[in-house]
Formats: sequence, structure tokens, C-alpha cells
Amino acid sequence: MTKLAQWLCILALLGSAWAALALSPAGLQLPVPLRQALLPLPIYLLVAFGCFSLATVGFRLATFNDCQEAAAELQDHIAMARADLRQRGLRFHPQ
Amino acid sequence: QATTTDRAVGFGLVAFSLVLFVYYTLWIIVLPFIDSDHSIHQYFLPREYAVIIPVVAGLLLLLFIGVFIMIVMWKSRKPARKSD
Repeated sequence: MTKLAQWLCILALLGSAWAALALSPAGLQLPVPLRQALLPLPIYLLVAFGCFSLATVGFRLATFNDCQEAAAELQDHIAMARADLRQRGLRFHPQ
Repeated sequence: QATTTDRAVGFGLVAFSLVLFVYYTLWIIVLPFIDSDHSIHQYFLPREYAVIIPVVAGLLLLLFIGVFIMIVMWKSRKPARKSD
């Protein structure tokens, strides 16, 4: 089974569990505050996941170390490659 | 060490998403269990907005992404080829 199919199965399972609880079929009487908190649950999980991804992006941005020597070395490599290719006849438009 | 602007923006994002998560969790999950005459309810909008605001924000995001794609595709179109 592909990963997509797995994710869809899990999503369908959780979705049907939520629908079963939230749409109050015959006889199920949950306490009112619980039902009030249960109803927006999909949107809540979506927003929580969005917050988590934003925090992850921010954290990685803050902790990714600058590599000065690697940057300088990369510029050197680029210059050497351009010189070599120009020598072999490739024309560069200004970057 | 990452540059100072990187660190400031990064940790700012972390703080912002933390605040958002805590506020939204309180709003959706905790508030129904608190009596409606408690003073904490004055800090939160009516519950319908807890659904409307994320949905509208999501639609706006999709709108911006679509407009951005449109602009990029418009700029990168080549002039029509001459036919033989």
C-alpha cells in the first residue's frame, strides 16, 4: 500500500470517528462542554499543525549556522567554473 | 552562528506561533469547560469566530498563492513562435 493510501486510510478513520461523535447519532449524549470542544476539532488540529510547522521553520532558521568559509569557497568554485566554461566557448549573459 | 536578523526572525516566528497555539487551544478546548460568568471569557471572541477566522485566513492564503503563480507565469511567457 502506498504512503498516500495509508495517510488517506488514517484520515478516513479519524474523520469517521469524529463525525460519529460530533453528529450525535441515536442515543449518544455527551456532556455539553465536551461536544462544544469536539465540534471544531478538525480545524483546531489544522491550525495546531500550522503553528507547529511555523515554529519548526522559525527554529531551524534561527539555529542554522552561517558557514563563512564554505560560502567563500563556493564563490571561488563558481568563479573557476565560469572561467573554465568561458574558455571552452560558452557565453554567459550578465547575472 | 546564524546571522542576528536570522535569529531574531526565527525566534520571533517561534514566539508568535507559540502565542497563537496557546490562545487558540484555550479558545477551542478550555473555554467550554469554564462557567460563562467567569471573567476570562471577555478576552475571547464568540466561538463562531474560532472557525470563521482560520477558514478566511486559509482562503486568503490560497488567493495569494494563486495570484503569485499567475504573476510568475505571466512574466515567464515567451513571445509567440513564428509559424513556417
